[in-house]
Order: sequence, then C-alpha cells, then structure tokens
Amino acid sequence: MFLIDWFWGVLSFLGLYNKNATLLFLGLDNAGKTTLLGVLKDGRLSAYRPTFHPTSEELSMGNIKFRTFDLGGHESARKIWKDYYASVDAIVYLVDSSNSDRFEESKRELDALLSSDELSNVPFLILGNKVDIPGTPSEEKFRAALGLQQTTGKGKVPLNGVRPIEVFMCSVVKKFGYAEGFRWISQYIN
Amino acid sequence: MNFDQGEERDGVRFSWNVWPTSRVEATRKLLVPLGCMYTPLHQNPEIVQVPYPPLHCKGGCSAILNPFCTIAPPYRTWVCPFCLQHNQFPPQYAGISEQSRPAELLPNVTTIEYALPTKESALPVYLFVVDTCLADDELASLMDSLTMSLSLIPENSYVGLVTFGSMVQVYELGFTACPKSYVFRGNAPQALKAATLIEKLGAPETMNLQAKRFLVPVGECEFSLTSIFEEIQKDPMRVSGDKRPPRSTGMAFSVATSLLQAIAPNTGARIMAFIGGAATHGLGMVVGEELKEPIRSHHDISRGKSKYTNQAYKFYKSIGEQAISSGHAIDIFSCSLDQVGLYEMREMVKLTGGFMVLADGFSHPMFQQSFQKIFSRDPDHHFKMGYNADIQVCTSRYLKVCGGIGHMSPIPVQSQPSTYVSENEIGLGGTSHWKIGGLDQNSTFAFYFEITNQHTNPIPQDQPGLIQFITSYQNNLGKRIMRVTTVKREWSDPQASIPLLANGFDQETSAVLMARLAVFKAETDELPDITKWLDKMLIRLVSKYSEHRKDDPSSFNLAPNFSIYPHFMFHLRRSPFLQAFNNSPDESSFYRFMLNRENVSNSLVMIQPTLEKYSFDGPPTPVVLSATSISFDTILLLDTFFCVLIFHGEKIAKWRKAGYDKEPNYANFKDLLLAPKMDASHILKDRFPYPRYIECDQHSGEARFLLATIDPNITHNNNVPQDPSKGEVVFTEDVNLHEFLNHLKKYAVQS
Repeated sequence: MFLIDWFWGVLSFLGLYNKNATLLFLGLDNAGKTTLLGVLKDGRLSAYRPTFHPTSEELSMGNIKFRTFDLGGHESARKIWKDYYASVDAIVYLVDSSNSDRFEESKRELDALLSSDELSNVPFLILGNKVDIPGTPSEEKFRAALGLQQTTGKGKVPLNGVRPIEVFMCSVVKKFGYAEGFRWISQYIN
Repeated sequence: MNFDQGEERDGVRFSWNVWPTSRVEATRKLLVPLGCMYTPLHQNPEIVQVPYPPLHCKGGCSAILNPFCTIAPPYRTWVCPFCLQHNQFPPQYAGISEQSRPAELLPNVTTIEYALPTKESALPVYLFVVDTCLADDELASLMDSLTMSLSLIPENSYVGLVTFGSMVQVYELGFTACPKSYVFRGNAPQALKAATLIEKLGAPETMNLQAKRFLVPVGECEFSLTSIFEEIQKDPMRVSGDKRPPRSTGMAFSVATSLLQAIAPNTGARIMAFIGGAATHGLGMVVGEELKEPIRSHHDISRGKSKYTNQAYKFYKSIGEQAISSGHAIDIFSCSLDQVGLYEMREMVKLTGGFMVLADGFSHPMFQQSFQKIFSRDPDHHFKMGYNADIQVCTSRYLKVCGGIGHMSPIPVQSQPSTYVSENEIGLGGTSHWKIGGLDQNSTFAFYFEITNQHTNPIPQDQPGLIQFITSYQNNLGKRIMRVTTVKREWSDPQASIPLLANGFDQETSAVLMARLAVFKAETDELPDITKWLDKMLIRLVSKYSEHRKDDPSSFNLAPNFSIYPHFMFHLRRSPFLQAFNNSPDESSFYRFMLNRENVSNSLVMIQPTLEKYSFDGPPTPVVLSATSISFDTILLLDTFFCVLIFHGEKIAKWRKAGYDKEPNYANFKDLLLAPKMDASHILKDRFPYPRYIECDQHSGEARFLLATIDPNITHNNNVPQDPSKGEVVFTEDVNLHEFLNHLKKYAVQS
C-alpha cells in the first residue's frame, strides 16, 4: 500500500527507526477522524457510525509505531478530550472543510486546544478534509475562517522552540493530501 | 412449516424441526448445529398455571409428567417417554379417564406452570452500589433516579446501599437516628469473604432479613434513604488534573456480594451497580490512576499487552461465582463517556443473569429510562422477572445436550455421568443443569444438541424426539414457580431425508444460533478466524441445500426457507459483534452481551437491522437494508436494537425547515412527519435497555448511523450519475451483498 511504502522510505531516510509516538485524532463530529484512521490502518475506505468511546489503534509504518487515539467529536464527548492530553506527541485536528457553517465551532475548539497549557509544546497537524466535495472553499479562505493564516511552514523548518502547526487540505475518501501532512508532522516527533 | 406457532405457545424455536435418525446422518446433513432458542419466561396468556406441584418420574430421569406420556385405561400408571419407566399415579390423580384429564396431560398444554409448596419467601432484594467519584451534575442525576426508584419498589421489598470511591461504605439503613456506615479499605489485598464481613459488622445474630439492619423494607427506610441520597457527597479524595479518581469498584462488588450472601442467601436479590468511570483502585482495577497510562484497547488485549486485564477478569469472575452460589444477580449500569471496565466485568454479569446497560451518563435517557423500566408498574409494559432460578434440560433417547449459551452458570453433574449430557461440548457444556440469578421475559438461552443414535439402529415409531425444559424460579411476588415446557419433533425417514430435513430448516433461528456460537468463540479466538469459520459453514450449508449444476454459478438456487440465511451472515460479518474497529472493548462486550440474551426476533434485529419507509405514496412499508432504499423524498425508520433512528430525506428536511408541516394546507405532510415518530415511540417503550434515539437529516453527521449499517450497493466508485430518488452514495470500499452472494455461489457450486 502506497502510504506504508512512502512512510517506510521517508522515515528511514530521516533515521526515525524504532520510535514510538502517540497521536491524538481530534475535531468536531463528522470531520472524518475514524474514516482516516480506518484508511491508515487497513488501507481501505469504510463507512463508520459516529464514535462513542475513545478507541486506540496501533499503526506500524516502517519501524515507527504510532499509537493513535480516536475520540468522539460530538459536543458531550469533547468533555473527555483533556483526559488524553497527558502522553500525546502530536495532535491531528480534522475539519470538515466542506461545512463552512461549523467553521466557527471548529475554530473555538481548536483555539481551546491551542491555548491549553498541557499541549503548549505539542505539534498540531490541521487537516482540512473533504475537499473533494464541490463548493469547498479554497485553502486561503479555509485558513482565514479558522484563524490559521500564520503557520510554521510546510517544509522542514527549524523552529527554535516555536510549536509546529500547519494546515494541509486533503480528501480521505479520495486518499490524497493527508500523507504530506503526516510526513510534515513526523519531522517534529522526538 | 410455521415455526412461529411453536414459539408463540412454548417460547422455543429450533434450527432444524425434523431430525435425522443417526449421528452419521446428522454430521453429514446438519451443517448448522441442531439447537434451539428457549425463553423460559415467555409470556402468553394461554399458558396454564396450576396450584399444585408437578409429578416427577421415579426412574431417576428427573423428567415431569407431560402430554407425551403414554397413559391407557385404567389410567393408574404412566410411562415416562424419556426413560420408559412405568410410574404409579398418586391418589390425587384418581379419576383420570378418556374425557377427564389433568391440565398437564392435555395435548395442547405443552407449557405449564406449577406453584411449588415452599414457604413464602421475601420479595426481591435490591442492593444499590453507587460510585461517588462522579462530577456533581452526574451524581445529582443518579441520586434523582435512585430516589424516584424508591417510590416504584414495592414497600415490603428490602433495599440496601453500598457506596464506593477510594473506600467502600456499607450503610446501616436500620439505624435511623443519623446516617451510619461501616467503611472498608478500597485497596485491601484480598476479596472480603462473607464470614469476615460478618465479623467486621458485629452482632452476627443480626445478619438476617428479620433484623432489618443493612437490608430494610423500602416502606420503613424510604425517608432516611432519601435523605442519605440528598446528602451523599462526592468522594473526598482530591484528584489532580493528571489523574483518574481512585475507584475501588472491585472491592465494592466484593463487599456487596458478601453482604447479600450473609444476609439473604438463596433468596431472589440483585446487586445494582452504578458506575461512572474506570476501576482504578485495589482489586479488579483495569487501569492505573495516572492519565498518562491509557486504558487497554482491543489491540492491547489481543497482543497480550494489557497489564491488568487477566487478573481483573479472574477477580470479577470469582465474584460472579460467589453471587450465583447464593442465587443472586449482578447488574451494571455503565454510565460514562469512556470505558469503566465492562470488558473485565462481563463474566460476572453473564454468570449471574444480571442486566448490563451502557449509556453516556446518568442524565442520559439511555440510563434513566432503562433503570425506570426495571421497576415499571405499568401493566402493559411491566417487566416479568424471575429470581434465584435454575433450568434443567431433559432429552429423550437418541439425543443428548452438548451445552448452552446464555446468561447462566453451569451446575456440575453430580456423581454418575448424566444420561442427557454429551461429551461433545458446545458453549457451557458438561451438564444439563444451569443456575440463573435473574431472568426476565426476554432472557433467552441457546441450547445445542447431538443425535447419538447408531446408523444401524432404527428408531421405533412410538418413540418421538422429545425435549423437556424445567425452570424453577422465584417470581416478583416471592412465590416459587416451576415452568415445564415439553416439545416434540419428528424423526426424518432416512430414505427420503434431504427434502424432509430441508423443509424443517428455520433460517432465522439458525442464524441466531450461529451468531451466538460466533460470539462465544470471540471470547477466545481472533475475529478474522471466526469470520472464516462462518464463511466455511455457510458455503457447506448452501452447497448441500441449493439446487445447482456443478461449476455453474448461474444455476444456483436456494429454497425460500434458506434464501435469506446468507443475508443474515453478510450482515453478521459486518456487525459490531464481529468488528472491533471503532468500538472499545467495553462496547464490544456490551453488544455481545445483548446478543447473548435476547430471543430470535430481537437478535435478528441486532444482526440485520430493520428499515421502514414512510412516503406520500402509501402506508409505511419495510424496505431492504441497502443504499438503494434511501430517497430524498421519503422518511426512513431504522431499528438496530441499540439505536432507533428517524432519517429525513433531503427534500423532506427542506420542507420541514420551511415549516410546511405547520400550514393547514399541508396536513398530510404533518402526518407523514408524525407517523415514524409514533412507531419509534412504540419501539422505545418496549425496548430494554432503552436505545439511543436519533432524528436526523440526509447528509448530516448522524446519518452515518444509517450509512454504516446498510448494504453499500451504491458507492462513490460506481461512477454512475445518482438519481436522488433512488438511493444514496456510500463512501466505502466494503464488499456489498451482491458481490458477497456472487462469491458464495461460486464457491458453493464447486465440488
């Protein structure tokens, strides 16, 4: 499967053998967290009901082991997001970029995460999902709506203590865009 | 053949209703095990109740007089059809004639209830076990529900209270001057035995129901208990932000079980535990207090990397065994957004026949309505329950019991090998006698049988295939009842057996018996292996019972009473019972628990949910569970047993948002919106536990409940322009039913 091959290549190039990293998948309900995780795990797209209990999976890509936590995104489930901050290496925050009605709500939750003390040094990968749906706003408009005009850059940027944060537009259904995001964030996993 | 009729009368359905006459025949032809689903408290107004005890066969076969016994003039003896023993009728049976027979000998009275002459026992006892490590609003909601329940419990029913956090407290409700409780360490190194508990609570002579010390009739303690509920405090232990609260859930169960064992052994009682978070303290802990340490996942469990699981599982199982030895049931109300440890606790609930409820919180209707339902006094929706029960299965010659699957606990066979018990174990086997702490009108047990007759031995015409179920239980009023169901099935003629056997195949019951076996296997086997096993069994079955030309899939044809069995298997493979992804171990345990307890029709709803369509074109109609059933101008009602969902097509949603239903000209639209709601409310009223209820629109996030359930026969990969009145695109690469059936045909026609 292409993503695994890709990871194998990139991560071994970066010398990240035998590392463990914990990723937290967050975002509003129906952003596509579980679907993305399903694609990463099995390489196969499937339809899932909304997530209730947090679930955890282990993804082995090359010699890196990712432990992922997929948390429910509906309003009441967000109460327990904070229980999972303790051991996290990076946050993958998904936004349904086709649903501009909920950008404000999504921004509010993201801002709360970004200003949380426990997560102050944790890298954030923001995925603007569902760009395959017609009428989805451009990356610029999407960034503006979420207050993410200023990010740390998509390349390999030395940050000197600044928290890495970057936006990648993607479509989990069409299987593009997120791989670049994971490649970017894996640079910042110690 | 009409299989519902037998179910209506006796609460029993078999996978095969005509039986092969030898073990060899059975092995070759019964490619779904011979078994049945039996509901001991099945309700039917025609079930006869008699005020006297039953007549047992003296032959040591433990069977009971029934309509299939041979009696002949002068009616002084009866022949037991199970062991062929001749028995004398006792004097009170004098006067039997061709015209006059006692109820239990009437041909249509295959199910009968006897009142047993035991001394009047107490009404069921309720011992509440309450988690106090809850957020304030959750604790308040729980206390409201508990207070409300006091008004629904009959006033001479005994109740008790145990609370737990970092410690476990037992309230002495009989002491009314002020709330008084005994405190136990939450992290004690050993479980608390009943004898030790009696020692610690002092005054052993008061450890009985008459003393009314820890268990007190509601009528006498309602006031003090209500004030305890009002004043109950959150656990005093301070918890920092990076820790879970210390919950001694395991110790709480140990204390509660020993308390009931000490005070009310062998009388109907249930421990009702209300749990709002993970067990983190002392025995039975499932995760440590540090949030940095995550609770185990399916992945951890299957790799053997789950630190606490084995030990906790064994601990809770031993508590379950202790409780059932006194005839008590243990219920768990798991009310939390995250896992509490149901995965480790499941065996404790299963062994004792308790309830398991999984809800988002104590203020959620899934908890509140489920809890209320247990105490409901509404005669139409009243829950018929039995306590401190046992069930025994007797089989006629040539037939043996392999085992059972359901919420019961096997009673080991005493002394000599029982004539009914097969060496070939399926489920909880090695016995024909099980104990059940609690049951209700839905509790259904799967039993599996084996034909033991030799090929060369013809079965005499006058020896029918018989199975008798003998269930003894304490009813809601504390009376001991014995229900006896005796059912007969025909032996097939070995010459012409394939069509005869095939006609007796009940595909619905067969699907459920296979599903129970699959879920039983899931306790020990990896899920992909179970799916492979189901596939293999399915291919063998349809290959044997279909008409087809060898190697020609297009010639494949299944008789109507086999034709939807493959559909059930398709949906079963996709169901949360056999798919762990996107489910926590606690959720999987809960779903499997429910499949393990319901009757055939409820289990089928779980395996293949029902879909009903509402449109302007006519009355509501059931539609197939597939993407093609979705339309922009109709409403759908989905029932998955666990979730009831109303789905408004895009156009319906648009009209509703525009407020057309409020305009007098569009009264029919208003009616259309109302109809599925009415039907949903009927489902909600009868369903236990109370399901998740959702109203949603097409293309909304909640519509995923529907899209994840249906057969995805239209996907984004079909690349056909979509007519919005004829289906909805599902974004998936899953195999659809059509492809599944094509593969099945291909394999089935191969030799």
